[in-house]
Amino acid sequence: MSLKKQDDMDHNAWLKNQDLTAIETAFLTTLIWLDKRLRIVDYLELLETMYYRANLQMPKSHTEQYDLDNKFWYWYPLYSLGSLSIIAYLVAAVSGALLGFYYSPSTAGAVAQGDPTAAYDSVVMIMTDVQFGYMLRSIHSWSAQFMVAAVFLHMLRVYFTGSYKEPREVNWILGVVLISLTLLFGFSGYVLPWKQLSFWAAQIGVEMALATPIVGEWAAQLLFGGFTLGQATLVRMYILHVFVLPFVVTGLIALHVGIVWVQGIAEPH
Amino acid sequence: MTDDTTPMTDGGTDEEARTDGGPPATVPPDDETPTWTERKEHSSGLAQLTYQYFERSRREDEDLRAESTYVERDVLGFPTWPHETIRNLAITSFFVGIIVLIAALMPAHYGEPANPGSTPGIILPDWYLYWSFGLLKLNPINPSLEVLGGNIAISNEFLGITAHGIVFGAITLVPFLNKGGARRPVEQPFWAAVGVTGVVLSITLAALAIQNFFPISLDLLLTLTFMLPLVGGIITYAVLKTMREGYMYDLNRRYYMLRPPK
Repeated sequence: MSLKKQDDMDHNAWLKNQDLTAIETAFLTTLIWLDKRLRIVDYLELLETMYYRANLQMPKSHTEQYDLDNKFWYWYPLYSLGSLSIIAYLVAAVSGALLGFYYSPSTAGAVAQGDPTAAYDSVVMIMTDVQFGYMLRSIHSWSAQFMVAAVFLHMLRVYFTGSYKEPREVNWILGVVLISLTLLFGFSGYVLPWKQLSFWAAQIGVEMALATPIVGEWAAQLLFGGFTLGQATLVRMYILHVFVLPFVVTGLIALHVGIVWVQGIAEPH
Repeated sequence: MTDDTTPMTDGGTDEEARTDGGPPATVPPDDETPTWTERKEHSSGLAQLTYQYFERSRREDEDLRAESTYVERDVLGFPTWPHETIRNLAITSFFVGIIVLIAALMPAHYGEPANPGSTPGIILPDWYLYWSFGLLKLNPINPSLEVLGGNIAISNEFLGITAHGIVFGAITLVPFLNKGGARRPVEQPFWAAVGVTGVVLSITLAALAIQNFFPISLDLLLTLTFMLPLVGGIITYAVLKTMREGYMYDLNRRYYMLRPPK
């Protein structure tokens, strides 16, 4: 057996024999180049499955199937509230990532009490100096409002159509967790500009935590970085808002939607 | 494969001690190690229970399928591509467009910088936390106990936190309290009334949170905070009970004929 490199399949020669357009040649060359390195062929079946998934027929809802309530189409927008909250979440994520380029989570720079801090200054800078910065911050803030509103209305829709009933109890509980995290998301974002209202809202948060028996002081230290507000509070709220909550909430949303996918949508009756 | 003529590399003759070129060295299963058949059967403990339950469950599923009269049709619906995709894109662009439009019309503002030294007259969170803020202002109804000489048993702050716990706990328990196949509000007037009570309560609690803006006395506001939700609930219950007969007639005629309730 020789050590000479065997090449039974001379793909390049095959390519030359074909009568191909420039686009086809470029496509095949790229495909062969990638396949030699990543063995795309091994994943071809997955790609095929995805292709057929994308061309699936959506099953008719049973209201349509049995022609139950043709006059009730105007309820259907209420069934899009869940996806609307995800869309608002995505808009907030994109605009928030852009805002993160300019925002600095720091209370430095205040000489006397009531002086603007670095965090406050960076928000003012975004609103006045950055090109389209005011638009960016407005979109971020409004998409957050829309998300919370959509989440609340989504919960009401699920409640009033009895969609939480067996076998969907777990998803209802997951939804309660998600709505709490959404509120925490909003709260931590409200604190970040370090304006008067932010500060005193956080103050109420600390007081609430401290009033809780047993775990109160521990929770205050974990979430607010101490019993009085300052740099530690701001950084904790910042990390909560841009690192911890995004991962946790995105994961839980994926789980929430995945369970809906597995169990099927609770049809309106 | 081996015979006596195969020499051992160390020149030995004891077949028992042969380590090279012998038959495949499989370890015979002793009594401790379960065979693969035994493993599959899960013949003891929790594994056995799990296995038995899954078998039952699978059999139940098969029976139900066999009994079912449901006919799978080839085409029941709506193509994902392009119909559903275009519909979703339209909804998404409309919604994002609304967000951008409102953001342009009503830009976010920033107030005074934080000042730990001066408490502002009005402290408010964003609108979606008003209800929560209202729960923190329940101190007038914090019960004072005679045994403590008219003192309150729990601090006002802790009362607010307890109220939060009760609210979240009640919401979490809903699926375990309301069971059965009823889905529409007309089928379950009581639970619809509970829902309306909750919605109105969240609104009145928000009003309690911004009590400074209401030109009415705190006593009246507190009374309204708890009476309006009850009134709302009672009205809902009455209306749904009244509507029920006609609605259920319709449902029976059109829906339950096709899918009888459990």
